Amino acid sequence: MRRRSSLPVTFLMPTLAILLVLSMVPTLYAIVIALQNRELSAPGYSWVWFSNFADLFSDRRFLNAVWVSVKWEIVTVVATMVVAIGLGVLMFEVAGPRLRNFYCLLFIIPVLLPRVSAAFVWKFAYHPLYGIATYPYRLVTGGLIFDPLSKPGTALFAVALVDVWQWGLFFAVIVLKLLETLPPQPIEAARLDHAKRWQIHAYVTLPMLKAPLISLMFVKMIESLRSFDLIYVMTRGGPGVATETLDMYAFSQGFIESGKVSYASAMAVLMMIATVITFTMLWKRVQA
Amino acid sequence: MKPIRPGRLIAKAVLALAGFLAVFPLVWTALNALKNNVDIITRVPKVVFTPTLANISYILGRDSVLTGLYNSAVACGAAVLIGIVLGLPAAYAVARYPNRFAGDIQFFVLSLRFLPPVAVAIPLMVIWLQIGLYDTLPALIVTYSLLTISVIMWLAIPAFQGVPKEIEEAAFVDGYGAYSVFWRIALPVAARSLIGAIAFSFVLVWNEFLIALMLSSSNAKTLPIVASELSQQGMNVPWGILNASVVLLSLPPLLFLGVLSGFLNSVFRQKKS
Repeated sequence: MRRRSSLPVTFLMPTLAILLVLSMVPTLYAIVIALQNRELSAPGYSWVWFSNFADLFSDRRFLNAVWVSVKWEIVTVVATMVVAIGLGVLMFEVAGPRLRNFYCLLFIIPVLLPRVSAAFVWKFAYHPLYGIATYPYRLVTGGLIFDPLSKPGTALFAVALVDVWQWGLFFAVIVLKLLETLPPQPIEAARLDHAKRWQIHAYVTLPMLKAPLISLMFVKMIESLRSFDLIYVMTRGGPGVATETLDMYAFSQGFIESGKVSYASAMAVLMMIATVITFTMLWKRVQA
Repeated sequence: MKPIRPGRLIAKAVLALAGFLAVFPLVWTALNALKNNVDIITRVPKVVFTPTLANISYILGRDSVLTGLYNSAVACGAAVLIGIVLGLPAAYAVARYPNRFAGDIQFFVLSLRFLPPVAVAIPLMVIWLQIGLYDTLPALIVTYSLLTISVIMWLAIPAFQGVPKEIEEAAFVDGYGAYSVFWRIALPVAARSLIGAIAFSFVLVWNEFLIALMLSSSNAKTLPIVASELSQQGMNVPWGILNASVVLLSLPPLLFLGVLSGFLNSVFRQKKS
């Protein structure tokens, strides 16, 4: 047994105190600002209590942003998990140890890139005239123009593709590592029962990995909230408001268009409440 | 029973395509960084061209880029250092001296990741403006420390738990105090995983964009902000220069590719045993 020591207190307390201060001060202050009517251009302000929140619910652009955010969350999380599980299983099935290592290295590269870099790389690639990603389309159609980022119907998906390019490939590596940690006996048993390859995965391996896969999805849901960099660089919320997520709208209300810091903060506070409640509930369920 | 061949072949082709798609966009960007503008603005992509270093030397010669590089290096370096100093001991305490709050502490540290960045950045901007530290590196460092401390702590807890307890117990028997066990045993033994955690936190703050965008207006701009501004001048800026700035911005995180993939491997090897 360890002797009683002052270590836990001296090691833990300062850090926890600093984390508490660094996180609670801005959080509480965000709520304070949201209850006022501060603007960037004017130094004075007064308390308006909940009128910012009331205004939000009659703001059609805000409601649009909520909808875009929900769409973004669903599209990116689902596509990431599908790509990750698909490629992870494929690597597990057909690649030998050396090839696996090689693919793992390749698949980690996109997620390491700064979001700004990834956004630029694909913004160039999507260019209707000179882009490398639109080149096959130009080639096949004999020079027709396809501009995915400027069409309301495709813009969100074009940006989501970049997100999946970064996270789906990375998660494929993790799915492979998870598959490798499984004991071989159940797989052997299923094989002896003449189960097909896909059946083994659908009914044996993936159900065995249910808990870690759900945690993985949880991580992706949190990371998908950070869509701002991609959208800011690639579309700025456009065309129109087709890709304007909540953080993009809050940013443009607070800093680009009107400088309504309090209004933007009210939006941020709503986002914060929604995400903290949702994720706390999800986390407790995952842990249970 | 041997699997059917065509299926396997298709699977291999899909994998090869995915591997190609993973790196090709980046490789293409790097190639474009070496091209003259006439070789970039072509309807049919040019693979063969005369390379030029003009874009890269232009980028490296611009004051704004150099300042951004300096700011990024200082802000990220300092924040990671603070994260190490405060995060590692705290993680060790949670891992080795469990108390009834350990679960709550871990959840609190993780929950910091739920906070939407805008919700943190807006009030911080107002606060830093009021105390006159807006658009300075110290403000950015303090803000980033929240990120680095929590991430390093979160990843270091399992790393310290992975250190065999017996080694530490033996050291206690040999008369080591609690602090010297941490310094002389736990830190060196867990070093490899810890370096992975630290590298991860560095990549995270190096890549950070929204907070830096909101907390800087001219003096404290980090490299991602500078790079994004280059393109705000419309597509009139020669593409080669933009591509060169993207390459410069992406290089530091890629340097950690080896460390981070090793870290991933060690995390899962631990799980297996």
